[in-house]
Amino acid sequence: MSNRWWKVLAAATVVVSAAACGGGGSGSDGGPVTLTYAIWDKDQQPAMEKIAQEYTKAHPNVTVKVQLTANKEYWTKLQTAVTGGSAPDVFWMNGPRIGLYAAQGVLQPLDEQISAAGADTAAYPKSLVDLYTFEGKKYGLPKDYDTIGLWYNKTLFDAAGVKHPDATWTWDDLKAAAAKLTDPAKGQYGIAAPADSQANYYNTIFQAGGTVISDDGKKSGFGDPATIEGLKFWVDLIKAGSSPTVQQMSDTEPTQLFSSGKVAMYYGGSWEANGFAKNADLTGKVDVAPLPKGKKQAVVIHGLANVAYAKSKNPEEAADFAVFASGKQAQRIQAEAGAVISAYQGTQDTWVKAHPQFNLQAFIDQVPNSVPLPRSKNTSAWTKHAEDLLLKAWTGEKDVADAAKELAKAVDEELGKEK
Amino acid sequence: MPERVARRTWPVHAVLVVGALVMVAPLVWEFLTSVKSFGESVRVPPTILPGTWDWSNYTKVFHSIPFGEQLLNTVLMTAGRTAGQLLLCSMAAYAFARLAFPGRDVIFMLFLSVLMVPSQLFLIPQYQIMQELGWLNSLQALIVPGVFSAFGTFLLRQFFLSLPKDLEEAAGLDGANPLRIYWHIMLPLARPGLVALGILTVLWSWNDLMWPLVVNNDPEQMTLSAGLATLKGEHFTDYPVLMAGSLLATLPVIVVFIVMQRRVLEGIAFTGSKG
Repeated sequence: MSNRWWKVLAAATVVVSAAACGGGGSGSDGGPVTLTYAIWDKDQQPAMEKIAQEYTKAHPNVTVKVQLTANKEYWTKLQTAVTGGSAPDVFWMNGPRIGLYAAQGVLQPLDEQISAAGADTAAYPKSLVDLYTFEGKKYGLPKDYDTIGLWYNKTLFDAAGVKHPDATWTWDDLKAAAAKLTDPAKGQYGIAAPADSQANYYNTIFQAGGTVISDDGKKSGFGDPATIEGLKFWVDLIKAGSSPTVQQMSDTEPTQLFSSGKVAMYYGGSWEANGFAKNADLTGKVDVAPLPKGKKQAVVIHGLANVAYAKSKNPEEAADFAVFASGKQAQRIQAEAGAVISAYQGTQDTWVKAHPQFNLQAFIDQVPNSVPLPRSKNTSAWTKHAEDLLLKAWTGEKDVADAAKELAKAVDEELGKEK
Repeated sequence: MPERVARRTWPVHAVLVVGALVMVAPLVWEFLTSVKSFGESVRVPPTILPGTWDWSNYTKVFHSIPFGEQLLNTVLMTAGRTAGQLLLCSMAAYAFARLAFPGRDVIFMLFLSVLMVPSQLFLIPQYQIMQELGWLNSLQALIVPGVFSAFGTFLLRQFFLSLPKDLEEAAGLDGANPLRIYWHIMLPLARPGLVALGILTVLWSWNDLMWPLVVNNDPEQMTLSAGLATLKGEHFTDYPVLMAGSLLATLPVIVVFIVMQRRVLEGIAFTGSKG
């Protein structure tokens, strides 16, 4: 008995002491350097690894290791690593969080490297460059962008004898088509109207002429009558029976309802293209059009950026790689993979051609009318209220206007806490 | 079996059969999804049996993550934590149960207070300790923080308290010191408690997601739970591949359960908990 116990203990000791110590050598100026590049999308991993290899080709002393963490856990991991002072050298950043990270000095300003690399910031959509500019300094260069489009099921449209949507569509066209495409007997609905901000109500709010957060970031626009109209658009579709109820859409995700032909139209981002293309059930059945027009044309634009860690052991290389990964050559590699629209001007065509079966040009054509995804310094503090309160409007528990006014108050309070 | 007994037991069996089906259904569903095409896996209404049995999802798992290395990490982490907890918890438990030293009860209370703190609160401090030790992204970072357990100490202390003192006193009279008594008398007697703690630790370690994910970076240093989490894309997840990977990761635990079924059941009955 005792013999066996000691063996276990001895084995454990050997295991622990034999485990190699991690951490590569860090050198400067010409010595071998290993950079870590943290990303959160499995779908984009191959393209990111290719970009890393391209960088090594140009800088043989630098190896870039791509670290994939699923989106859900990415921010927990990053935040923990930041508190410990050992975050990845370069990583993906999004609009809602840039304010927080830049304000706390986690990120390096990239201005110097941008001019050293001769990168032209005019080559990116201006709203995205602005999104990652904080107190006059550029903390990230846009990596990709996404806009929203009206995905539709051609087969269901043809069966119901409804004309396919195009760039001339208005809200009324959409409502009429949604009603015609609804067939309760088949369990089929015209459109999915979930309480989704980026893909749904932000777009209609801007199309109605409303606002979410004022330009100076101090006031909420949720109480504005135009904003309320943009919210009502969706609730009316549910009330008219043209969309499944909130309950049904929480049982089955709207994407799945759409890809199963239970819903004929779906407001979805450009990011859906890859998934729809990979679904053999949808071959030849779906396409995409620009969003229908309200009072005016508008669409939400958002995009990620590559940022460099301020406390990186190799700050210069880190910043240089961040700029490279957003540069023309890297952006083309990314576009070829078809997962996201590259942000660099002129590389979008490559993305459009990656899935020729869809009219992806619709996403690009909307960019001139695009509005950046609303954000403030601490975005998640107020979006949480929006989720809670608007859900009550969507289920019909509360009147839309009442919910919106209550929300405006809650958001103003959160904005007041910033700074 | 006498007829009267049979008549009395059939309702019980009926309930148990239904219960068993309910418990097995998710695993069956996991398996069926793992051999469907992506389109079929997200179809509404769902199909039960796959239209074509697509076994390639299993090979895709091996292309997506370094499955072998992650399996090895998971096994080593689980074995290391379990061995560590059995040894350290039983030593501490014996001291708290039998040795008289000043401040024992106060220390024990402090020890128990750790149980009241949600484990998420330890995440950042433990991460910083690992960083100071230079252990980030290493196997020991997976194992070492998991070898201490207030729960395990508490469990075994209660177990030691319930054992009669006579044997120890007899050994003491024969000249055995506390270490010998602990090792040769108490540990063998505490076997059911150790088995229970061992099982709970194995299950907890095997499923632990947050810690491996946060403390290690390279795919080759990850455990299976963390590796599987990376299979979820931001907008597109290949569910059949994810299910195939999850099923492969569950298999070793199922095999262990079948081999050690009796012990596992005793352990659960003993602690009244399945971890």
